[in-house]
Amino acid sequence: MGQLTLKDIVKRFGAIEVVKSVSLDVNEGEFIVFVGPSGCGKSTLLRMIAGLEHTTSGDIVIDGKRVNDLAPVKRGIAMVFQSYALYPHMSVFENIAFPLRVEKAPEASIREKVEAAAKILHLDQRLEQKPGMLSGGQRQRVAIGRAIVREPEIFLFDEPLSNLDAALRADMRIELTRLHKQLGATMIYVTHDQVEAMTMADRIVVLHAGYISQVGPPLELYHKPQNTFVAGFIGNPRMNMLPVTCTGVTDQGVEVDFNGQTLLIPVAGRDGIVGSALSLGIRPEHIEIGPGEAVMTITPTVVERLGQQTIGYAALDGQDENFCLVLPGSRGIAEEQPLQVSFSTADCHLFDAGGQALERQVDLAAMSLPPVAVPA
Amino acid sequence: MALFRNDDTPMIDRYRWWEIIGIYAGIFVFLFFMLSPFIEGFLVSLKPLSQLFSTPYSFWPENGSFKAYFTMWESVPGFARYIFNSFLISTIATVIVLLLVVPAAYAFARFSFRGMGLVLAAFLAVSMFSGAVLLIPLFRLMRTLGMLNTYWAMIVPGAAFLIPAAIWLLRTYMMRIPKELNEAAYMDGASQFYTFRRVILPIARPGIIVVAIMTFIGAYSQQFVFALTFNSKTEYMPLPIGLFAYFGKQEVIWNELMAASFVGIAPALILIFFLQRYLVGGLTAGAVKQ
Ligand SMILES: Nc1ncnc2c1ncn2[C@@H]1O[C@H](COP(=O)(O)OP(=O)(O)O)[C@@H](O)[C@H]1O
Ligand SMILES: [Mg+2]
Repeated sequence: MGQLTLKDIVKRFGAIEVVKSVSLDVNEGEFIVFVGPSGCGKSTLLRMIAGLEHTTSGDIVIDGKRVNDLAPVKRGIAMVFQSYALYPHMSVFENIAFPLRVEKAPEASIREKVEAAAKILHLDQRLEQKPGMLSGGQRQRVAIGRAIVREPEIFLFDEPLSNLDAALRADMRIELTRLHKQLGATMIYVTHDQVEAMTMADRIVVLHAGYISQVGPPLELYHKPQNTFVAGFIGNPRMNMLPVTCTGVTDQGVEVDFNGQTLLIPVAGRDGIVGSALSLGIRPEHIEIGPGEAVMTITPTVVERLGQQTIGYAALDGQDENFCLVLPGSRGIAEEQPLQVSFSTADCHLFDAGGQALERQVDLAAMSLPPVAVPA
Repeated sequence: MALFRNDDTPMIDRYRWWEIIGIYAGIFVFLFFMLSPFIEGFLVSLKPLSQLFSTPYSFWPENGSFKAYFTMWESVPGFARYIFNSFLISTIATVIVLLLVVPAAYAFARFSFRGMGLVLAAFLAVSMFSGAVLLIPLFRLMRTLGMLNTYWAMIVPGAAFLIPAAIWLLRTYMMRIPKELNEAAYMDGASQFYTFRRVILPIARPGIIVVAIMTFIGAYSQQFVFALTFNSKTEYMPLPIGLFAYFGKQEVIWNELMAASFVGIAPALILIFFLQRYLVGGLTAGAVKQ
């Protein structure tokens, strides 16, 4: 129970098409994250699943049943709002109990369920307080508690952590992951923060201007982005894009000319790309100082030292975006001093003129190694 | 200087001594203009009638007493009844206004429907006319409905003219209640009516009390015109008309008139004093992240 299917969902506000034909299968018990820039239609999509917004066309199917015209409660869905949406005049207990009171559940069962939820969320000591007296993290937990007591099959979260400060966000991320394991319910989580997406999701859905750009597990999106949008959106700082020209296609990969160097990138070739202009994508964390397979000279204009890593930004001729590199630890690179850097062809991504990726030949299974058992 | 601030006072609230004197002088002038009629009225109520017309006029009462506050009940025996009438008319008008305005304001705040702007503008336009302008059509209306010389003659027009302002006031208040609260309740299966009763009404309580106070005061002070035109029965007369009784054939009993005025507004003052204790500010604190 808790299987959700979206079929060609479209949402129009007047003449503006906000969600454009979204199809998606969400498995039972899965933690799905919708991620995308602000205004790409994440909330709208979520609100349609919730039953707060009417669908212009398409089907929403939960456990084999079309629910487009059902009220939210009938869908077995609970939602946690970005702004908490707590009832300010009610105590924490009454806030959490609200859905049960609506159902006219017996008092004893209300007390039992609310107390169980409060225990899971560490709110036992706060049940008599009003929301106004709680901190942001506690308020968010009350909002989650209100969702839990109804024992829904599907939880919806709309940017639940974006109002919290960074430290609290990290804590709540872990709590939510734990909660997901504990409840085993399907969760659909909307965020614009790719760290939340990468850390919590079983699968990430990247939305871009009302379309699904790519769906996949976090590491697949990181290693095999299907287009330049996903490549740029997943990973921080964003992937560098360098203009190259295709010179040949072999079984081993695609040969490109990069600043006079011929590189063999291990990606699947395609007919008719020889001679065309491609984009070579390389992540900042894959760049090293000194010689290597592909070499270039840059002059950093800004250097950020975070202790854990050093980030340099350099302007490239003919490009708006800064070239960015991330080096581990504190490295002695200086502003305004030319620097030779290199990267290996195995780390490169290639995109055609339309922004579609040429598939990389990476073995994802090998990248997620089984846990190593360390004998005590 | 130390009188008005200590080391804990934030910098933005610190003033020079002459600024403080200026501020208090300003407050005093303002209050004096507002309150001087009341002060003079109160002083008059303490003076014996003979002293009121003495020359030179003395502002402060000599051998002043509260005698007028006792004799006023004898000069106009029906005065208690007038106070009761005023209170009754205002209370019923307030109840009617609240019953109509609370749901209306909620609808105007939450739902958008065709012609809403027009209706709201019309309400505003209606409140631009004072009742006095519409006396003749109102009189015919009252006569047709058979309400002349009843309490309703004063209650209905009083309430009608108070509704527009009340709707605007409460609508503004209710618009500040986050829409997410409705959505959250809806997600949890609550009906519109359940949400209205359990979520919106309690949160809007301070706003409703403000509207109740404003309406009550409005009703209390607006009765004069309607009472004078639509009612000729002495036993239904409200306070403002009742005060006329102190205007005798030969002379006006000024000191008792003033005393009666103060006694007349006392019940309203007491009621408002109690109501304002329920004016809890910041009731939406913690509802949503602002
Ligand atoms: N009720 C509405 N009426 C008109 N346009 C809307 C409405 N709700 C959202 N939109 C528009 O739809 C787009 C997507 O909004 P939203 O789903 O909230 O984006 P996101 O949550 O991804 O930031 C935005 O451009 C927004 O202006
Ligand atoms: Mg949103």
